Amino acid sequence: MTTDALDFTVSCTLKPTGARTLQKERQLDEFLADVERRALRIAEIAVRDREEALDLVQDAMIKLVRSYSERGSDEWRPLFYRILQNGVRDWHRRQAVRNRVMVWFQKAKNDDSDYDVIAAAPDPDGRTPDQELQNSEAMQDMELAVHALPTRQREAFMLRTFEGLDVAGTATAMGCSEGSVKTHYSRAIHTLRDKLGEHWQ
Amino acid sequence: MKKSDEQMARQAKEAFDSSVDRLDAATLSRLNRSRHAALAEASRPREAWLRWIPATGIAAAMVLAVMMLQGPEQFDAMHAPANDLEILLGEESIDMLEDLEFYSWLDSEELQDDGNLG
Repeated sequence: MTTDALDFTVSCTLKPTGARTLQKERQLDEFLADVERRALRIAEIAVRDREEALDLVQDAMIKLVRSYSERGSDEWRPLFYRILQNGVRDWHRRQAVRNRVMVWFQKAKNDDSDYDVIAAAPDPDGRTPDQELQNSEAMQDMELAVHALPTRQREAFMLRTFEGLDVAGTATAMGCSEGSVKTHYSRAIHTLRDKLGEHWQ
Repeated sequence: MKKSDEQMARQAKEAFDSSVDRLDAATLSRLNRSRHAALAEASRPREAWLRWIPATGIAAAMVLAVMMLQGPEQFDAMHAPANDLEILLGEESIDMLEDLEFYSWLDSEELQDDGNLG
């Protein structure tokens, strides 16, 4: 998007208040535009559902803008992912409660057995060159392996590797010490290497 | 021979970036709308009374504790849980509790961040 187009979009959609300047709002727009696609895929890997992931990302955007827009822009990335990770954890907790209730009423739909990895995989949008196919298959294998990691290991791995946060930023996003981040990340990558190594030669 | 940790991370990042690049137009449009909705929402001032919800919850818990300490004559512990259950089973109440959980979490975050980041 060009600068002029961005200015037009911002001026049409935002009403600056006394506390937040137009420049800050433009920075927020640019930050969210930069982070949103990776955040969606990270959330999607964690919950295995694109619609749910889209809702989680939108919630994280709203909460970041509401609560942390006045913070320095260099703080937004770890704070955004902290909100998103909390949203993902809450989502898993709600799912666990929902599943327990469903089992109790003997209405469990046995989602796991019905889960179709191919059907749930990202749509390649019709592009089927060999490299695209290989990348897609590699991502599916890796996605399943990452999803199977313990929660904290999964968070550390995705924030460090996919989002590129440093150890300090990952610690802020996870709400733990830098030492814990290193431990979780190390365990995650060793587990993944053991699971995927022979397929990723 | 197993790949090194760095190779594994690099390959995983490449596969991830490729999947990000393959996101379809409909999904990108949803993200764009979500972003603008978030920014528009941000222009609305947060309701002042919401800031009192965590404090109200603590106060309610304290009142309940005092009532229970008064003994069975003043507080019928057998009926209260049933009434609470009726309230909790309402869909609106569950939504409210989820919001309470978030606002409580957000306030604790702000307190912690004031100490760590501010």
